Amino acid sequence: MRRVAIIGVGNSKFGRRDDALIQEIAFEAFREALEDAGITQKDIDLSVVGCVGTRVYEALPAVPVNEYLGLIGKGPIRVEAACATGSAAVFSAYNAIASGCVDTAIAIGVEKMLEVDTPTSTAMGGRGGSYLWEFHMFGTSFAGYYALFATAHMAKFGTTEEDLALVAVKNHKYGAMNPKAHFQREIKVEDVLKSRIIAYPLKLYDCCPISDGAAAVILASEDKVKEFRVEDPVWIEAIGFGSDTSNLTRRTDYVGLPAAVQAAQMAYKRARIEPKDVDVAEVHDCFTIAEIMAYEDLGFCKKGEGAKMIREGETYIGGRIPVNIDGGLKAKGHPLAATGCSMMYELTRQLRGEGGRRQAPLKHNIALAHNIGGHGFYAYVTILRR
Amino acid sequence: MVEQKPPTIRSRAITLIHEIPIARIKQFWDGLNEGKIYATKCKRCGKLYYPPQVDCFKCMTSDVEWIALSGEGVIETFTESHLKPQGFTHYEKPYIIAIVKTPEEAKVMGWLEDIDIDKVRVGLKVRITTTRKPDGYPAIVFKPST
Repeated sequence: MRRVAIIGVGNSKFGRRDDALIQEIAFEAFREALEDAGITQKDIDLSVVGCVGTRVYEALPAVPVNEYLGLIGKGPIRVEAACATGSAAVFSAYNAIASGCVDTAIAIGVEKMLEVDTPTSTAMGGRGGSYLWEFHMFGTSFAGYYALFATAHMAKFGTTEEDLALVAVKNHKYGAMNPKAHFQREIKVEDVLKSRIIAYPLKLYDCCPISDGAAAVILASEDKVKEFRVEDPVWIEAIGFGSDTSNLTRRTDYVGLPAAVQAAQMAYKRARIEPKDVDVAEVHDCFTIAEIMAYEDLGFCKKGEGAKMIREGETYIGGRIPVNIDGGLKAKGHPLAATGCSMMYELTRQLRGEGGRRQAPLKHNIALAHNIGGHGFYAYVTILRR
Repeated sequence: MVEQKPPTIRSRAITLIHEIPIARIKQFWDGLNEGKIYATKCKRCGKLYYPPQVDCFKCMTSDVEWIALSGEGVIETFTESHLKPQGFTHYEKPYIIAIVKTPEEAKVMGWLEDIDIDKVRVGLKVRITTTRKPDGYPAIVFKPST
């Protein structure tokens, strides 16, 4: 395996993007990534476009995206791993370089979700669980699935609706400091508790928004890092992965994601680090309960103690391990395929010390991204080091 | 300041309805008409499958028997969904989705009815029944044990 570095990152504005086509939003992230890396299309060997699709008018969006970006001849693949699609795209690009197949590659995660109405977007999500055995009869949705986790976590560990609200409050605080975030407004615990119920016990402010957006990550081999004279490469130390059932009923319990635990342990082992070595993390907070479970699944705390971490402010900047200090999925937004690439965008900038007002203190120069597909069907944990 | 909605054009409509083949799992769908929930059990290794499947991935054979689950279970988790995806928007009220564990150690998803959300608890015992909704779709329905 060859070493692989991130040499350029780009991120479009996330939010309701009725102003742009899918390829135009991809272009925003792509141009920023090229400028950041200081390279052009001719320097890129392989383009991996991640897109969940189904809510955008294009059926095979990678094709027009690659055409629009001037990547003709370089884009033989489109990647999908539900909400972990961005990490799956990075994984594909990483492996192509690590194996020696190519020297440079770009992972582009792009999603348009708001070209259809909310019931349609909700159905496209819910049908992405187990259509036959769960959606067809019971109208499951992703808010509903994570609500099932929340209920079980609350019953087993005494986690409260106020604890969940604290996650939203933290992530909105940082979203308010991120000009690319969907929501740039601070909220209070009472705002969360008073917001309308989406799927008990989750309320509107416990849920990430439905967002449009794109993010891009340019990867290169060590030789290319030298050739391009990249001053601040961020190395991908390890990518751990896991997967699980489409039927939620086939899980042992509903208080964590076994795929995430598997991915985390694989990543820590491959990177030869421990959870305490992580300076800053991005975790998949599609719903507030998901962030609390992520703390536990990643070993930032013991199982059942996730709520204590947010209560004690340990995941704020200045706390033991800052988490989602770009606003997370919750406030920055969650354009499905863009999310994993956007996590790399944020963490790369954090490791370079480009976090500005949101900069996390760096001790070990290690960052971690935790990206989940569905209700834990797919999990990727990526460790970055500068 | 009122932001003006950017201009859009409307796509051509597409209707997408699938004919789902149930030849090998017909017993399950027939069971719903008889008030029974069927699982499968591998005749060779004894592995229980719910949702049912006719191929055993443990011993890689395809010789299963159909087992009717007992009509009772205990709630492991639940939610009341106010969010209604396309296909469910005609249901007027929010619906309670629950997962129950049966004495056979199968876990079954269903709609919990005849109880107020405030009264629902993890650990609650329920009866497992089936129904056909006015729109023609079958459903597994849990009701509080009396």
